[in-house]
Amino acid sequence: MAYDLLVIGGGPGGYHAAEKAALAGLKTMLATDGPVGGVCLNEGCIPTKALLYSAKVYEAAKGSAKYGVRVGGAELDHGAVIERKRKVVSALTGGVTRRLRKAGVTVAQGGAVIRGKAGGAFRAEVGGEAVEASSLIIATGSSPIMPRIEGLDRALGTGFAMTSSGMLESAAVPRRLVVVGGGVIGLEMASYYNSAGSEVFVVEALDHIAGFTDREISSMLMAEYERKGVRFLLKGTVTALGDGMVRYGLDGGAYELNADTVLMSVGRRPNVAGLGLESIGVETKGGRIPTDGRMRTNVSGAYAVGDVNGESMLAHTAYVEAEVAVDNILGVRRSVRYGAIPSVIYTNPEVAGCGETEESAAGKGMAVEVRKKPLAYNGRYMAESEGDPGLCKILLEKGTGRIVGVHMMGPYASEVIFGASAFMEMEMTGADVAGMVFPHPTVSEMIKETLER
Amino acid sequence: MAVPIVMPKQGQSVETCVIVGFSKKVGDAVALGDVIFSYETDKAAFELESECEGVLLGAFYGEGDDVACLSTVCVVGEPGEDIGPFRPDAPGGPDKGGGPATAETATDGGDGPAATAGPDRKAPPGGGGVPISPRARRLAEKAGVDYGGTVGTGPNGRIIERDIQALASAGRKATVGAAAAMAASAGSASGASYPGTGLGGRATIKDLEAAGAPGAAAEAAPGGDGDGGYAETRLSGARRIIASTMQRSLAEMAQLTLHASFDAGAVLGLRARIKAGGEAMGIGNVTLNDMVLYAVSRVLPRHGAMNSHLVGDSVRTFGKVHLGMAVDTPRGLLVPTVMDAGGLTLGMIAKAASELAAKARSGGISPDLLTGGTFTVSNLGVYGVEAFTPVINPPQVAILGVCGLTDKVRAASGGPGAAGLQTYPSMGLSLTFDHRAVDGAPAGRFLKDLCDALERFDLLLCM
Repeated sequence: MAYDLLVIGGGPGGYHAAEKAALAGLKTMLATDGPVGGVCLNEGCIPTKALLYSAKVYEAAKGSAKYGVRVGGAELDHGAVIERKRKVVSALTGGVTRRLRKAGVTVAQGGAVIRGKAGGAFRAEVGGEAVEASSLIIATGSSPIMPRIEGLDRALGTGFAMTSSGMLESAAVPRRLVVVGGGVIGLEMASYYNSAGSEVFVVEALDHIAGFTDREISSMLMAEYERKGVRFLLKGTVTALGDGMVRYGLDGGAYELNADTVLMSVGRRPNVAGLGLESIGVETKGGRIPTDGRMRTNVSGAYAVGDVNGESMLAHTAYVEAEVAVDNILGVRRSVRYGAIPSVIYTNPEVAGCGETEESAAGKGMAVEVRKKPLAYNGRYMAESEGDPGLCKILLEKGTGRIVGVHMMGPYASEVIFGASAFMEMEMTGADVAGMVFPHPTVSEMIKETLER
Repeated sequence: MAVPIVMPKQGQSVETCVIVGFSKKVGDAVALGDVIFSYETDKAAFELESECEGVLLGAFYGEGDDVACLSTVCVVGEPGEDIGPFRPDAPGGPDKGGGPATAETATDGGDGPAATAGPDRKAPPGGGGVPISPRARRLAEKAGVDYGGTVGTGPNGRIIERDIQALASAGRKATVGAAAAMAASAGSASGASYPGTGLGGRATIKDLEAAGAPGAAAEAAPGGDGDGGYAETRLSGARRIIASTMQRSLAEMAQLTLHASFDAGAVLGLRARIKAGGEAMGIGNVTLNDMVLYAVSRVLPRHGAMNSHLVGDSVRTFGKVHLGMAVDTPRGLLVPTVMDAGGLTLGMIAKAASELAAKARSGGISPDLLTGGTFTVSNLGVYGVEAFTPVINPPQVAILGVCGLTDKVRAASGGPGAAGLQTYPSMGLSLTFDHRAVDGAPAGRFLKDLCDALERFDLLLCM
């Protein structure tokens, strides 16, 4: 069959691109070897949010007395939490499937392998069927990185070690969980199992958790989780896994830790193998497919969106990259702007940020003025919190006063941060934003509050 | 007694002037005839000489301010006198023009009928007969704003400057930050690529920087004379006008240039005779260029198509020849007009041309003398240029370039007996015309007639 566009991969980048392209009139095939929705919908963003919300409700019930509400015998039924998560995921994947069908996308279950290019069209094999397409969007996503750790393969085989996907299906709450990697995924899982009653250790190779998050906020987040009982082993490296045992190195010493389950969350690697990229000469670099701002690979007509290009590995980045790739295929010249893409960690409290951090600004030699205030300044926060930490920090470029970074920790931070993205897209100054009207009382007011001296 | 010093009105078409700089500081003594400040229109610069004595008590505007004509700029009087009542914003103050922000609205109502008169009124780009103030039209032309179909916010729906500004910013969507940068650079960011790279095609600050907008670049590239080894100078008002006029001319017209030359023996001979004996008869200096102007003024009426303006879909052919003459001045190219040159003798044309050139070079020329031309002559002969492609001054349809003298050879004339070659002084003419309005053959005929006339200049003098 001949198509205008073949999209390989059914995650946010792939299904969004396929739907947009089909609605624009392109004859589109979406090839996916897993369920539509990809990692995000099936074993990432959405299911973890379902779990974390259950944890939040449970924590609220446990701590309700502080708010004058007496609740007896609050319990977290992990099996029921997982069951609810399944329903949420199923409803959402069903929704995506219907949308694709309505848009007229041909969805082919089965892996796609690119076979070459002939007469201006890409040739591929999808589930054994030969397919031709004038344009190609590679949206094959990423997989968890498996570092070289002695005994890891065996531990994965026995179920002692798991990835986040496995954890989300597991009906058991481990008594002791060792999380290898203190990034976003590791922290969200640590947060849930901490609430669910596990004793949680987080082993992180760096001297801080939460990756590129503002360092002050990541320190506050770590302190909050230490208060909740999570143990952090910074600058620690897991060297071996045995039966119920984790060996790690720390400060030159070697230690062992008993554990019921080990979560591997050291990071994710783009999926570039086995796609037949070499048959059309798509370049890979450091295990990813480099793209320009218009999502073009080095091969004319072939685009790469989402985790596979290694640019930002966030579902919402994949969405915008998918839109840009389809626009460029349709002849609309457009580029992705990576400068104002927000990011969120759905811990409790939430952490959200957009733009430069103090650390990244310093790295770029940008002179910034930092405005920050604790959330204790905020009425809504005070009405709804009992001593939880919270901070709002805004970076203004010196000279111009333009907002170049916003970082928040606290309730609703995930819902407030889109505003920061808008400020930065519009290149607004702190004074511009301070002149806006924010609804009272809301946590979003912290932005205005922080900008006012 | 305190005396208000107002911004003079330099010509009918001038509504505001920009203060270039003050020669006196507040508190300085001012004597009769002292220069208090200098100011410029978009075409010329002037100095304001005091007509009273005292001390500069205060100034309401600063360097670079665009001040409505007849507004009070500053006050001279005795120390201690109250200048409050002279403030442009003072209630019941003497300044009926108001401050700069309202200046246009205030001065606009009066010149409605004038907008359609005069040969030099330019057609709006796509604007048809839309009522628009000259100032707004200038901005529209500069910013490339199509205001057709727009109803302005001025009196009777007249489009005034702020309407064009609004249209310009709406047409060129920008981020909040970029819009602020554009406003800071007074709209000179129109070179930014469209659409921009920002949200929804908005221009971003980076886009403006890429387009070299001064407001945005000032932050990014301080010290133009640093490592790059260049000096950055902001274009003067006059230079900006030249830039946009020339750009528009080449962008909008179908220009091409014909080159021809004529035997300059006759004009050189006459010039030598005037030099030798003209003074005794009261005839001043007459240059070769004056003779070309004279020849054009006599030949052009027979070629009406060349003495025209192309305005929108129609050609306006003029009965009289108003000759623009390109003058090189320290502020850049200026083109004063010898009005009704066809009615002047050679001596009168020479006198008018020399006076206009002097005024233009001094910078103190009235803007009214810089408009109204129906045809332009530009002379680069003194630099030994042998041919060039002069750029038409819109909405005119042609311009004549006058080139230098060269010696040429030709077969000796004089019948079958004459043999060999002879040299003769030759002068080149380069005629650029707008092919939209005129075809090559009529343009060629005009050029040939002009060459013939110059070769028989003595006969031409009878006209």
